[in-house]
Amino acid sequence: MMMSKINTHARLLFAGAALTALVAGTAPTLADTPADTLVLAWAIDDTITLDPAESFELSPAEFIGNGYDMLVRLDINDTTKVVGGVAESWSVSDDGLTYTFKLKPDLKFASGNPLTAEDVAFSMERAVKLDKSPAFILTQFGLNGDNVTEKAKAVDDNTFVLTVDKSYAPSFVLNCLTATVGAVVDKKLLMEHAEAVTPSDDNKYDTDFGYAWLKTNYAGSGPFKIRDWRANEILVMERNDNYYGEKPALARVIYRHVKESATQRLMLETGDIDVARNLDPGDLEAVSKNPDLSTTDAAKGTVYYISLNQKNENLAKPEVREAFKYLVDYDAIGSTLIKGIGEIRQTYQAKGVLGALEASPYKLDVAKAKELLEKAGLKDGLTVTFDVRNTQPVTGIAEAFQQTAGQAGIKVEIIPGDGKQTLTKYRARNHDLYIGQWGMDYWDPNSNAEAFTSNPDNADDASTKTLAWRNAWDIPELTEQTKAALLERDDQKRAETYKTLQQEALDSSPFVMLFQQIEVAGLRNNVKNYKLGPSFDTNFVGPVTKD
Amino acid sequence: MSVMGNTTPPPMAEGKLSRREWLLSDRPASRTQAKLGRAYVSWRRFAENRLALIGLIIILALVLVAIFADLLAPYSPTIGDLANARLLAPAWDHWLGTDDQGRDILSRLIYGSRLTLYVVVLVAVIAAPIGLLVGTVSGYAGGWVDAVLMRITDIFLAFPKLVLALALVAALGPGIENAVIAIAITSWPPYARIARAETMQVRNSDYISAVRLMGASPIRIVLRHIMPLCMSSLIVRVTLDMAGIILTAAGLGFLGLGAQPPLPEWGAMIASGRRFILDQWWVAAAPGVAILLVSLGFNLLGDGLRDALDPRSAGQ
Repeated sequence: MMMSKINTHARLLFAGAALTALVAGTAPTLADTPADTLVLAWAIDDTITLDPAESFELSPAEFIGNGYDMLVRLDINDTTKVVGGVAESWSVSDDGLTYTFKLKPDLKFASGNPLTAEDVAFSMERAVKLDKSPAFILTQFGLNGDNVTEKAKAVDDNTFVLTVDKSYAPSFVLNCLTATVGAVVDKKLLMEHAEAVTPSDDNKYDTDFGYAWLKTNYAGSGPFKIRDWRANEILVMERNDNYYGEKPALARVIYRHVKESATQRLMLETGDIDVARNLDPGDLEAVSKNPDLSTTDAAKGTVYYISLNQKNENLAKPEVREAFKYLVDYDAIGSTLIKGIGEIRQTYQAKGVLGALEASPYKLDVAKAKELLEKAGLKDGLTVTFDVRNTQPVTGIAEAFQQTAGQAGIKVEIIPGDGKQTLTKYRARNHDLYIGQWGMDYWDPNSNAEAFTSNPDNADDASTKTLAWRNAWDIPELTEQTKAALLERDDQKRAETYKTLQQEALDSSPFVMLFQQIEVAGLRNNVKNYKLGPSFDTNFVGPVTKD
Repeated sequence: MSVMGNTTPPPMAEGKLSRREWLLSDRPASRTQAKLGRAYVSWRRFAENRLALIGLIIILALVLVAIFADLLAPYSPTIGDLANARLLAPAWDHWLGTDDQGRDILSRLIYGSRLTLYVVVLVAVIAAPIGLLVGTVSGYAGGWVDAVLMRITDIFLAFPKLVLALALVAALGPGIENAVIAIAITSWPPYARIARAETMQVRNSDYISAVRLMGASPIRIVLRHIMPLCMSSLIVRVTLDMAGIILTAAGLGFLGLGAQPPLPEWGAMIASGRRFILDQWWVAAAPGVAILLVSLGFNLLGDGLRDALDPRSAGQ
């Protein structure tokens, strides 16, 4: 009796399974994402904190960029300018030391607390006093733990005044304030969660300013509020109904941590996600060929370069420096090795930043390079070592360069190593050639100008170790110009100075600039208005809609 | 010592003896004839083993390809055409396709055979004598010499081979010479063990005692009378190990610690090809097959040699 019952059950089960298989076979059901939710797959394992005062990584910059608001923000249509964030207007005093910001009226945090100048001042104070990695962006204006309450001050509910120590170019100050470290945090909410601490060497204050709590929580006023973050798993943002600006069409944005490019491609193809963020060139090509999917990209503020150590007397010759720039097959590399991940760029400022010079005078010209080498007295060529991190695309580019350099009689000996090995050697100035990448610290031309064309002290024990220092490029004049550009209050003139600096670097620097990184994303076709910005904190998801 | 040469030659009936009969004669007229006869028997037994012959052919082909790489390779192994010939599928122009730098994979494989042979031969030349010396001295001397040498061997055997090689290469810096040194240092202990075992078997035999009574020094005994006896088993073991050496070298190359670019080392070729394994499979597959074939060749050859050289199964 029992037996037959089980048998009947089993038979039913089999029949059911067979039927399901049949149905599934004829009409594959796709797991569509909800219409009011955008689901993105992205490697978000670099998120270690959600605190704007500490976060300096890529993926949290995007979360903070969407979840918080700053005093001023980059103008996405013209990234050499800024537009108001919570500030409605601002003015700079004649001596260039005092910045007065008028806030937009009746602002509210997502928590419902009113957003006043007091919160702006607190955000600055908090970032400066906590003094985490990105704090230098604010402290370079002469702010420190002792004077920040005086220098970054709320005059009344609607007026915030920032006093800087030198008459910097206003564009420099404003650009720096667009960084995530300048995000306005909810003072009332944070101080409710602040923990009392005993002052120590690391933290001289008796409160942690809500540091422990904000690591995994949210206290902002942006178009989205960060609802939930589980490390290496998921981050959920929800529409902030208290946002003053245009409210997002989507109710929810979900970032899923998916590391593998191939997995992201499969999920995108089956409709498990709407946007895939880490597609390798191969997968990207497959996505772009799929009629249901499309791709979008944007140049990001990271540039790749080969640098020549000026401690090597052969490489220090100006003709040799120039010859190297003629020995990179820019066209071939651009159309193959970095296709989909970068675009050739020979100037060191990223595209879209104030004063970026658009020039690419160099192309592969072995005869010209040979001529230059002969002029330098190196008719028989030379042998140099080349420290290369054993990851792509740098290894591929290094090998391609090795071939083209070989044609001009330069024997390049590649020394592969992991990132730490090569970087340590580079920082100690023990290399001949090095291939590396440089990401902008903040969206202002000064960031890269300081790195590439400023070297205040070329001694081995210098305190400021810029990229020019790492290659022992002694440039007192350019260093002065870089410094002067920081204090040039006329934007037009400031931009011109940066262009001159880039031209100088293009002609004579030991940096062979290669390409600027681009970020790509694969989308399903029903996702509209999805755009990547020039930096990660401008990858806005607010305008996105879904059909 | 040997009295074979003194025996009266057998009456040669017709005076004519085929070469084969001369070699197989059970009463050789000279030491040379005896040696040649023995070699011939070994060869016959080796040749009976078809698989071993295939192994030998593969290895001979490898050697020939390595010697005549300049003539055989249709293109340069290091200079490619990045702009126009990147990741081409196998075709008439490029029999095995091209890699991500636009270089002809066949040419790289052909030149890579030199590196493979270089590594294998150098490792064998360095590691085998060290192992042989340590093993025979240890086995013959016994006592505390044996204890010390064998404990050192134990220490080396206690590490996984690849891990130890990795550590050595990391300390010495990447490069094919350093890879050879690292592999050699990690592969001598088994040879020492084998040589020691063989030595222990023969050191108390009568002929060794006789040599000793005649006043031979221990050095002479080890070098002239013990080492030759250990040779055959050692050759077999080294040949069988060669596949492992190739794989270790390829592993180091794969991890970026072997040959430096642009050297066409097979392991490094696989490493750079694995990025394209889904869409351009031939980039990684071609060197993979080459490693497989050569390793197989050495294994088959070693197996055949063991059967042919093992005196216990010789039946003589």
